[in-house]
Amino acid sequence: MSHETDIDFDAIIRAESARRPSSALRLTGAIALSLLWLLPFYYLFVTVFKSTEEYASKNPLALPSGLWPILENATAAWSSARMAAGMFNSTLYGLCGAAIAVFLAAAAACGMTRFQFRGKALWFMLIFSGMVFPFQMYLIPLFFTYNSLGILNTHGGMILFYSAICIPFPFLVLRNYMNGISREIDEAARMDGAGEWTIFLRILIPNCWGPITATFLIQFTWIWNDLIFSTVLANRESTRSIMNALQSFQSSYSVFGPNTVLTAALIASLPSIILFLILRKHFMRGLTVNTT
Amino acid sequence: MTRSEQLKQADATLMAEIGQDQLRHKIRKTERRNFLTAFAFFAPALLLVGALLLFPVGYNIYLSFTKWKKFKGYDQFAGFSNYTKLASNHAFEDALINTSIWVGASVIFPLAIGFFFALVFRSVRGEEAFKSIIFFPKILAPTAVGVIWFYFYAPDGVLNRLISLASGGDPVDIGWLYEASTITPAIIVTFVWQTVGLVMVLTLIGLAALPRDPIEAATIDGASNWQIMRHIIVPLLLPTLLVVTILSVLAGFTVFDLLWVMGSGYPGKRSLSLVVMMYFEAFQKSSWAFASAIAVVIGMVVLAITWVQALLQHRIDRMTG
Repeated sequence: MSHETDIDFDAIIRAESARRPSSALRLTGAIALSLLWLLPFYYLFVTVFKSTEEYASKNPLALPSGLWPILENATAAWSSARMAAGMFNSTLYGLCGAAIAVFLAAAAACGMTRFQFRGKALWFMLIFSGMVFPFQMYLIPLFFTYNSLGILNTHGGMILFYSAICIPFPFLVLRNYMNGISREIDEAARMDGAGEWTIFLRILIPNCWGPITATFLIQFTWIWNDLIFSTVLANRESTRSIMNALQSFQSSYSVFGPNTVLTAALIASLPSIILFLILRKHFMRGLTVNTT
Repeated sequence: MTRSEQLKQADATLMAEIGQDQLRHKIRKTERRNFLTAFAFFAPALLLVGALLLFPVGYNIYLSFTKWKKFKGYDQFAGFSNYTKLASNHAFEDALINTSIWVGASVIFPLAIGFFFALVFRSVRGEEAFKSIIFFPKILAPTAVGVIWFYFYAPDGVLNRLISLASGGDPVDIGWLYEASTITPAIIVTFVWQTVGLVMVLTLIGLAALPRDPIEAATIDGASNWQIMRHIIVPLLLPTLLVVTILSVLAGFTVFDLLWVMGSGYPGKRSLSLVVMMYFEAFQKSSWAFASAIAVVIGMVVLAITWVQALLQHRIDRMTG
């Protein structure tokens, strides 16, 4: 470090800060931009506290006159949009789909990184290619295959599909990560007589806990937010996802005002919002590697 | 060389060959065993991906060459007629124009605004809080975002009210999501609002990873801000910018949820984009074969974009590398 002492860092910092727009100006700009970005949320938050009459008679950006209408909005949204079923289904799909997908992806990544065999690149490409095609190419064939197998509009069929579509991304991430884990540990375990399965469960998985939770979170959120596959493969009140329920509610809104539909949107987004507040940094780092 | 020496040597070669053979055999056996163990690990993932993702892609391509519509024509071969039908279809033409607007807009706006935001928010006081606010829309479902903006743009909604306030109080009731000329730009604004946070975070990560030395050297040599940006920061950031551009082009090209939710009251819905048109032709008009052809077109464009990215990535790697 001693050779760096002859550079005058203070002078550089001074020169740089002199040339940058002043921090007060930048701070003002940052605040203005954030407020602009928050405007739709402000609209959402004032609207969920208004009754239908209040919304119709006042400026949409005006503050609500009371807080209690939110209870009525929430009850109306919850029962009319059949949100209970949607919440249950999306939780089920998200937890099972993401867990199965990440586990299978970890196993596949283990198979790809811990053993030497020929044609590895081809097998890798086969699994990875599940990530390059647009969803539109899956819709019609899946709809008819599911229909003829009798698993259209079933919980099992949806979990099966979400498990499949959530494999390629964790597979890619975990394969890169496992490549960096030393093989000496599993050699040592093998010497001690551990089987490959034990090495996978007891050594690799605990070592990959970080990327496993990150990809699980990403895939859970993806399933939670999915609209199109639920619309095509499970368009029944009993099996549809929460976003499907929300979309159906919005497009038939004639009876209910924006206040009720926006309350439904807020309720449907609560899990994502809570997850984001708890795991903010994790999310911002994790989502940046996700494609959609 | 005596006879016995010759014999001895032949003997040795023979032994060596047997050894080599055994060795080769053993290696092959280990490799085989290795492969079988590895296969046991990746077979379940491969089975699911193959059956539920790869098989449908092939099936879709097959369907696009049939005459399947409603309940008929499933096993009738149509050649390329579904594709030629696309060329003369009005809705397809409109959808193509709108999709091009989407692609163009998703190259320019997320990148330009995201880059600008990254420069504004970098090391400003309270950086983390600002970044979280801009990033926040990204974690919401496009469906929920679409619902919020649907009412935001409504004739009696927020935007018209703001315009009316700004223009002196006359009531404004533009149906932003009901007019062919405004619906696409309006939804693009929503899309940009939702995705800019991601672009900004990616750019900030790229900026943080830049080497300090060239920038410091240029500063000492008296280079202007613009020169530093143009000749040092942008070239060094090129790999990040490439990834970001491709991600937002793919996202803009295949956007569905926002269009479906925000266009729910628009009569010309199916011409909003190729993706919406495909869904519409399939699940509302039961033109299965025709919709499959649109899906194949979408797939080819996506593969082409991915291929271009791979090419550019390769060039950048060589340039920097």
